Amino acid sequence: MNNTWLLIKTMLKMQYSNAGKKGSNLWLYVVAFIFLLPVSIIYISFINGFIHSLYSGLQPFGQESALLGILFLGIHLLLFIMSLVTVLSAFYFADDIQSYIPFPFHPYQLLIGKAASPFLYLYVTSAIIFLPVFFSYGSAGGESLFYYLYGIILFMLLPIIPFAIAAIILMFMMRFVNVAKNKDRSKVIAGISSFLLIILFNIFIRLKTNSNEMVEELTVIFQKQDGLLEMVTVFYPPAYLSASALGDSQSWLGLIYFIAMLALTAGALLLFAWLGQLLYLKGVLGLNNSGKHKLSKQKMQRKMKRRPVRLSYITKELKIIFRTPTFLMQCVMQGLFGPILVVVILLFDFGTGLSLEFLDTLSDKQILLLLFIASFIIISTNVTAVSSVSREGKTWYTNLFFPLEPNQVLFSKIAASWIINLFVITLFFILSLLVTVPVVVVLIWLVTILTASWLTSSFGTYLDLLKPKLNWTDEQELFKGRFIGFIGFLIQAGILGIFTWFLWRSDAVENLYATSLILLGLLLVCIFIVYKLIDKKINSNVFQDI
Amino acid sequence: MIEINNVSKSFHGKNNAIDQLNLVIPDGKIVGFLGPNGAGKSTTIKMMTGILPIDKGTIKLNGLDIEKQPLEAKKTFGLVPDQPDMFLRLKGIEYLNFIGDIFNVPAEIRKERIEYFTKKFSVYDALEDYILTYSHGMRQKIVVTGVLIHDPDVWILDEPLTGLDPKSAYILKEMMRAHADKGNTVFFSSHGLEVVEQLCDAVAIINKGKLIFYGNMDELKAQYQTDQSLENVFLELTSDE
Repeated sequence: MNNTWLLIKTMLKMQYSNAGKKGSNLWLYVVAFIFLLPVSIIYISFINGFIHSLYSGLQPFGQESALLGILFLGIHLLLFIMSLVTVLSAFYFADDIQSYIPFPFHPYQLLIGKAASPFLYLYVTSAIIFLPVFFSYGSAGGESLFYYLYGIILFMLLPIIPFAIAAIILMFMMRFVNVAKNKDRSKVIAGISSFLLIILFNIFIRLKTNSNEMVEELTVIFQKQDGLLEMVTVFYPPAYLSASALGDSQSWLGLIYFIAMLALTAGALLLFAWLGQLLYLKGVLGLNNSGKHKLSKQKMQRKMKRRPVRLSYITKELKIIFRTPTFLMQCVMQGLFGPILVVVILLFDFGTGLSLEFLDTLSDKQILLLLFIASFIIISTNVTAVSSVSREGKTWYTNLFFPLEPNQVLFSKIAASWIINLFVITLFFILSLLVTVPVVVVLIWLVTILTASWLTSSFGTYLDLLKPKLNWTDEQELFKGRFIGFIGFLIQAGILGIFTWFLWRSDAVENLYATSLILLGLLLVCIFIVYKLIDKKINSNVFQDI
Repeated sequence: MIEINNVSKSFHGKNNAIDQLNLVIPDGKIVGFLGPNGAGKSTTIKMMTGILPIDKGTIKLNGLDIEKQPLEAKKTFGLVPDQPDMFLRLKGIEYLNFIGDIFNVPAEIRKERIEYFTKKFSVYDALEDYILTYSHGMRQKIVVTGVLIHDPDVWILDEPLTGLDPKSAYILKEMMRAHADKGNTVFFSSHGLEVVEQLCDAVAIINKGKLIFYGNMDELKAQYQTDQSLENVFLELTSDE
């Protein structure tokens, strides 16, 4: 146990230590706090009101426990999806495991140590979603002390089952994928598979939900006490047990459910540790990076082309992003995930002959603005730009001794991010054609979003230049605990969101072309300002001070 | 030629990591740079190559000030850093091509040099593999090849022989000699005192940021009136007592 605890402490320190970081990020936390404080007050009061009204609606039918069922089911589902991503990155993408293997640790101890960091994320998520609903429900029903006691303990146990399920699935998958014996390829295959799993899951749920049948079933279910809870949680006992433990907290029955849930959690934990002991190291070890390839004369000749410095640098950036599994997942796949999910939802909700009826009620100007702001929000969440400098890590210094101008380096990094945004823009392009947006609107949108993509790439690169994170030992660390991307998103989406809203509401500008010109003008002004800021930084010799 | 004039550097306002360093490395010479761990060798090299800003003083490479004319100065030297772990996700050939593009080396010359040096260092067959898969020594060889393909006048090498197999170490030493004999400058830091004794025309010894000796082996022996090896003199010079 001592060793496990030691591993947990060491691994957390490696992830979150401030050692070697310059300056303080205090101002970032202050900005985040200022933004988040009003949002959280509104959020909590909204949840409270919502739960109270649902409770009073369901209580007369004896179905209020369904709320708890939905809560547990929803949170387990969310934690499961999050676990897929975090388990993959912490267990398999992070190379730091190599440093621990020579030490006399059991695989299960390594696993538990590695689970510590993902668990922190899962607890934060559970706290944000579970606690407000839990307390609101408690106050709505005037619940007993046992309700709160069980609830807090269940909250502490919440991430264990979804995490264990996700980890077990992935450990089996990686054991299988590892047959390829190529580390990077295995990581990419596993990463893409887990995204596909989430999308397929979504499709499955959509296929299962048939609205006509549901109405009939609901009538039957409503006639039975707690029938709704049983329906909601029928396929997933942990949600049923947790919800019942809280719902019946004042009786012995609640205690039995509660103990059953504790046993189930302990079982999941043991199964996770046991299977981890069997499978984990087999999935991680034996992965290697090698692959011998001979260089033929023709290939050598072909590869010897002389290219302009910027083009060469952009190609280098893109190659590194696409070949580093963590960068590929964070910079490329995550950006695509949202739009792909939207396409899936649209395809299933609207059938094959896609047409969004509400589009008919909008003017061309409004369609343009809607398309623009939706696609802009997606590309401004992309982390390629805000990791431009940080991705280099400890090799940032190579940019300093090569005969390169700082603006050549930054231009190439901005361009690399812009190119990666093209994937999302292409998806939106296809999407807009699917929902039959007028061609002229699509073309104008294309010009504005390509310009906006340059803006968000430049701004992200500038933000990263201000506070780069170079002292990482593993690519995973680079994306952890960084608020800069989120702050960048808030600023950009805030400014452009307000401006788009203003254009939407404005009666003075009704014409599509005038709107697009104004929008384009604003984007160019913003790009100009960002360039001035970057220039200022370059002139203050920020490159050497990083 | 490398001219280091009155250079000082401190970190976070603490004691000078480099204290009024004056050093001139003339053309046609190999100069070894010695010092215990933390003496300031890497800091000096980083300032010479533009990686770290200089607090006080100037550094010129072939007459070009590294701070005032950085691009021109950077084109005149090639650096082998102490850690060759860079661009790990590029293939060997891609890295060399990238360097070729940055230093504007014409395609034909580039091809000729890459073939020549990588065959000499026995890494030609690994050029299509990712640098990530290379051993430390192979990475070192690729970085050295990267320096050689743009044929700079000044070579600055931070621990260049670490991790190299005996044959490649021998080849590199021969190359350093040949490069200096052509009238160029070779400046390298090392902890291998025997190599320095055998290869260098002069040694510069630094301790706690101060230059404590600069001259050839004969001058060293004369100054300290001893016939002892460089190792013994070095240990004596850099001892704290």
